[in-house]
Amino acid sequence: MANLELQDVKKVYGTGSSQYEALTQINFKANQGETILIVGPSGSGKTTFLTIAAGLQTPSAGTVKIDDKVLGTMSVKQQSQLRLHKIGFVLQAYNLVPYLTVQEQFTLVDKVKTANLTASKFNEMLAILGLTPLLDKYPNQLSGGQQQRVAIARALYGDPSFILADEPTASLDTERAIAVMQLFSQLAHLAHKAVIVVTHDTRLEDYADHVYELVDGVMHRLK
Amino acid sequence: MFLAIKEMKHEKLRYGLMIGMIFLVSYLVFILTGLSNGLSNLNRAAVDSWQAQSIVLNKDAQINLPQSVISNRDRQVLKNKGAQISLLSGLVQNQAGKKDSAQIVGIKTNQFIFKRLKVTSGTKELHSKQAIVASAFKTDGFKLGDTLKIANTQVKVKIVGFTNNATLNMVPVVYTTPKTVNLAKYDGQQTTTLVNGVAFASKKPTLGTLKDSKLYSAEQYINKMPGNRAQTLTFNFMIGFLMVIILIVIAIFLYILTMQKLPNFGVLKAQGLPTSYLVKNTLLQAALLAVSGVLIALGLVLITAAILPAIVPIKIQITMILLSGLAIIGMAMLGALIPVREIIKLDPYQIIGG
Ligand SMILES: Nc1ncnc2c1ncn2[C@@H]1O[C@H](COP(=O)(O)OP(=O)(O)OP(=O)(O)O)[C@@H](O)[C@H]1O
Ligand SMILES: [Mg+2]
Repeated sequence: MANLELQDVKKVYGTGSSQYEALTQINFKANQGETILIVGPSGSGKTTFLTIAAGLQTPSAGTVKIDDKVLGTMSVKQQSQLRLHKIGFVLQAYNLVPYLTVQEQFTLVDKVKTANLTASKFNEMLAILGLTPLLDKYPNQLSGGQQQRVAIARALYGDPSFILADEPTASLDTERAIAVMQLFSQLAHLAHKAVIVVTHDTRLEDYADHVYELVDGVMHRLK
Repeated sequence: MFLAIKEMKHEKLRYGLMIGMIFLVSYLVFILTGLSNGLSNLNRAAVDSWQAQSIVLNKDAQINLPQSVISNRDRQVLKNKGAQISLLSGLVQNQAGKKDSAQIVGIKTNQFIFKRLKVTSGTKELHSKQAIVASAFKTDGFKLGDTLKIANTQVKVKIVGFTNNATLNMVPVVYTTPKTVNLAKYDGQQTTTLVNGVAFASKKPTLGTLKDSKLYSAEQYINKMPGNRAQTLTFNFMIGFLMVIILIVIAIFLYILTMQKLPNFGVLKAQGLPTSYLVKNTLLQAALLAVSGVLIALGLVLITAAILPAIVPIKIQITMILLSGLAIIGMAMLGALIPVREIIKLDPYQIIGG
């Protein structure tokens, strides 16, 4: 069973007097079939948490396990392969590639990976996200919210077991934000993904199976 | 490679400018190569057209044909071997009064230089007071049947044929018989024909024992031609310098372009795209830029060479141009290694933060 686990994870930025403890003693587990929401104010450590969970940063202490494999023992290349095949990451700054059309943002991974979503399945998601009419546009022709939805779709295209999303609804109106959360919870329940969303947007709490709160690097379970 | 091509299509101006720059420098390199080649050819074209492999010269002549005289003794040893060359540098004047510098070269019709001579118009025969002359003289209005007066002498020769690639030490050649050369040189005062050197078609001809002369290879002889070495060195230096400029300029440009793209690469790395894929794309991009620039330059150089007036001594040797083209592409790839290093070092978290 697919799972993602953080044990006693601590993250300290900087050294000496400028040291800053962004995460303290985090213990966390996400299983497939669950949508987990982590809420917290700006600067509380949400992005730090998510990037560590995805193996983009190494924790100062503690271990991160994905499917019971410890990330810290993997090579950079193995970690990159793991991200490619298992993790769909929605970045806070959506960072679309400026010279690729919306369609190409998704299909780029076809060059290095098979087993992506079938066209029909993916088209359904595109419809839910309202992206179908935008496929031939370049990022600079899209609004912020449209770019954000493209970034979400890009994370889903590779059919990952884990979906990690950093503020995926920051630029979306309530209706769109709820549609995205409903899509995530469908993916968790029907496609057995593990979905972790970090946000300061409390509108989303109703659509998650579990809710945690992160304040100044300390995590509590709310639901 | 999808990414590289997509990007170049989307950023036409940016990459167009880079191709333009590589094109300009390549064009310059090719023109210089052609000029170097052409100038050196003016020195040696006649020797090359004889396909001589070696030459016997007086050993005190510093491998210089005009300064060399083969002693009577050694002439007896060499007898009829090889091809004797009698040389007179001077001016020739046609009936219209037009004067031109010329290397007047006396050759025997039964020896290989004459036999290998390719006459482009007129007849291939050479009797006393007749001449087969370099086609270059045509540009000054010299025609078949013209009588040329050898300046400062009473000797006149009649043009019976023209031949291409006949320049020696930058000066066009007038081929005539050794007797005619002798007559012009000594005004009939000396009866034995003076021989400056004897050329051979093979590298190591069997010679008797020479006393006053020595056998030199054709390359030795050509390298010792006045100015030849200095000229070749100058051109090689310029070309080498341009190669270094290409390397630096491409490295700088690719570096700047790559630095601008690092955020994108960071995201792709975060997505799990292998670094090797990004590196391959960057290298491919450098190769595409260099190859396009070089190909355009190649095309334009061929056109330039075709339309430049014959008087400009550009000689395009396709193998030389291709070699310098490959060198330029090699330099571009070398220049691409610096941005590649940046991509390998790139930590995706630095980029995506937030
Ligand atoms: N590379 C870094 N070096 C030093 N400090 C950092 C670094 N990255 C983050 N921090 C600090 O760690 C804390 C948590 O940052 P993080 O980006 O995780 O916050 P966040 O919860 O994602 O905030 P936001 O909602 O604004 O995105 C912040 O106080 C931030 O200043
Ligand atoms: Mg953040």
